[in-house]
Amino acid sequence: MTLLPGPVVLTSTAVTGLVVLLLLSVGGVHVARRRRERRNAARRAELTPLVYTLLDGTETVQSLADAPAVLDDVVLHLLPQLRGNDRQVLRDVLVARGVVDRAAADLSARAPWRRGRAAMLLGATGSTRHTHDLVTLLEDRSPDVRSAAARAIGKAGDVGAVPHLLASLTSARHLPSGIVGMALLDLGTPALPALRTALETGSARARALSAGLLGLHGDVPATPALTAALEDDASPAEVRRAAAAALGRIGAPQAGTALSRVAVLGGDPALRQAAAEALGRIGDPDCIPALVAGMAAADLRVRTTCADALAAITPEGRDRLRTLATSDGPAAGAAVAALDAVSPFRPLAVAR
Amino acid sequence: MRELLVDAVFVANWALLAHVALFHLVTVLLVLAGARRVWRNRHWRGVEGHDETFASPLTPAVSILVPAHDEEAGILDTLSAVLGQKYPAFEAVLVDDGSTDRTFDLVAERYALREVTPRPTADLPVDGEVLSVHRATTGDPLTVIRKTSVGRRSDALNAALNHARHPLVCMVDGDSLLETEALLQVSRPFVEDPDNVVASGGVIRAANGSLTDRGTLLEPRLSRRWVVRVQVLEYLRSFLLGRTGWADAHALLIISGAFGLFRRDVVLEVGGLDPLSLAEDAELVVTIQEHLRRNRRPHRVVFVPQTVCWTEVPESWQVLGRQRKRWSHGLGQLLWKHRRMIGNPRFGPIGMLALPFFLLFELLGPVVELVGLAAVATSLVLGLVQPAVAGAVLVLAVALGVLLSATAIAVEEVSYHRYGRGRDLLSLMGAAVVEHLWFRWAHSWYRLRGLVAALTRRTPVWTAMPRVGFAADPPSDRLVPVRP
Repeated sequence: MTLLPGPVVLTSTAVTGLVVLLLLSVGGVHVARRRRERRNAARRAELTPLVYTLLDGTETVQSLADAPAVLDDVVLHLLPQLRGNDRQVLRDVLVARGVVDRAAADLSARAPWRRGRAAMLLGATGSTRHTHDLVTLLEDRSPDVRSAAARAIGKAGDVGAVPHLLASLTSARHLPSGIVGMALLDLGTPALPALRTALETGSARARALSAGLLGLHGDVPATPALTAALEDDASPAEVRRAAAAALGRIGAPQAGTALSRVAVLGGDPALRQAAAEALGRIGDPDCIPALVAGMAAADLRVRTTCADALAAITPEGRDRLRTLATSDGPAAGAAVAALDAVSPFRPLAVAR
Repeated sequence: MRELLVDAVFVANWALLAHVALFHLVTVLLVLAGARRVWRNRHWRGVEGHDETFASPLTPAVSILVPAHDEEAGILDTLSAVLGQKYPAFEAVLVDDGSTDRTFDLVAERYALREVTPRPTADLPVDGEVLSVHRATTGDPLTVIRKTSVGRRSDALNAALNHARHPLVCMVDGDSLLETEALLQVSRPFVEDPDNVVASGGVIRAANGSLTDRGTLLEPRLSRRWVVRVQVLEYLRSFLLGRTGWADAHALLIISGAFGLFRRDVVLEVGGLDPLSLAEDAELVVTIQEHLRRNRRPHRVVFVPQTVCWTEVPESWQVLGRQRKRWSHGLGQLLWKHRRMIGNPRFGPIGMLALPFFLLFELLGPVVELVGLAAVATSLVLGLVQPAVAGAVLVLAVALGVLLSATAIAVEEVSYHRYGRGRDLLSLMGAAVVEHLWFRWAHSWYRLRGLVAALTRRTPVWTAMPRVGFAADPPSDRLVPVRP
């Protein structure tokens, strides 16, 4: 222990010096940032009206070519909020100021955040000129960059990238389904044919995601393929659940039989729930027997969902619920609660 | 006899030194990892896509669960913040857990509650009796469950889980204020990776002293009390650096009960919250990870350093002592319950890194510190160590501690800069030094008592913290700092 003081004193001094340096830097950063923020706020206040005059057509793009860099922030902030000609004008400003070219060059930058931000910027401009580069970034070593590239592709609106986006779900450097889903949704209805194909021939992940997106789009032509996916016992559970939910969103009464069968006989409670919920959305009175049968399920979630679905079918489903509410057995509680939920201002409407 | 004592003291001194050195080494690595992550995140600010998440139909709905026991001081502010979330689809489920004050009356009046038929969606065991279920008639998506208290927060949360309807559940304390975009930020990992993410947590900060108005925190400020300032610093170190570092190492053990988001089906699969645990938040995270690893199911537990929930921290030593004792007791319970995971490579970084760290440094840390302090004092009395040596080692230990705090302050200022007033930063810097004068030793004492309670298997007792609230009296005089 007596050997310690020398090194300990040295280390203490070094650490103390580091602490002092760090705290002084914090103070310096604090002051500098406050000044910078004030300066930028003043510049923004000065430049924003200029951008509006540009949109009005009283200024030209070239007149803003030499404006301070904070103008780019103002333009990029406004860009996603605008459409049509106004958006094109702002895009031209970014091109004229070299922002787009710099971003394109940054797609191969060393720092991941530079690549990611560049991809996002190119996506925000809505140009499909860089789709190929963005598709390449779907295999980037950084997950953040891959996500940024997918989102940018969605914003840019090039439907040719749909197969690449779906393939990225299962590639070695794969993307999470949520990111790909948001990008595909951004592409809009032009992506639907590719999604229909993916539902039938894609990987399990691609099929599940495609089913979900087709449902969100309310794509009626996809009903047969979705029904087939639902009925196929060999399909992965996630695909069948997504197909059931999609059929409900589409509101396809022709899928009622398949959904009813799954709601009653499906082994997986989550699948039965999805089917029951879909039947409620479709609202076809022919499905009431299946939902009533589902209310005898051992699983509480299935019973509750079937009851909610019946409550959504008016007036036949609610009539049936009223009968069930006065009966004995596990269905009665769920029936009372479901009826109460649709009568929020008349609680406990059904006296047992 | 003297030789035996000398040998014992010698061993204790070296053990202390080794413990301190190892602790600081691990902590510095964690801090560096956390600082690196925060620094990287800084570059992505503004392009996270929160607006897209808000607009996306793929964003899952969330049930926000708020257990409340005698929270009349701040419950309306908490609910205002919860119901004011910028999020596409959510509901709030408040559990009035046997409050003896006006918690329920205030909520019933503000939201014009009406009693409805209970509509359970799960059947987790709940010890307290559910007395009634109410729904807001003001158009707010609020359900209130009244139940008898059994003195456990976990019981209230399990009751809320039984009535939650959405695929994600967010647990929020009854004395917390969520920032408007908090839910949107913390749910982003679920939106982006719905197949793998099972839990996500955000940053908790101390609200004491800040300017608030009807559940909105207008300006973060520091309290005038040093006991609060030191806790602010603790929270900064823990959330900005510690948890970010653990999350980067895939070894995040704790998602704070004050603000955490979970996949509801997974929580139900593990049987909800452990009814007997005093650290039910950490317990839930460990149980989920143990369950999923045993079943070889892919999963991710994520920490989002941007998200902020403001909460009240204890303002008196007595309350702080009770809280820290409870935490230590809960940690002891957790480590005992999951002892088979400790050092077990089957459980990956959680088993090999996080649990051993928490055992060695968090649970046993106070024992080593206090025994070591006694050994140093004995060494000085026996003349085994020169005062200069002891002093130098002490100064080094303090300097390292202050360095960690200074790093947290630097990261806060560079990346988030929530404290706009220079004097608040100065106070934080002061707290970094003050902490080592007395707070640290008192803290060790409280933790030691918690450890003893865990070792003696004392009956867990959840004691509610007295609340100050977020608004001052009278109500018309809003825009005032939280007392003091």
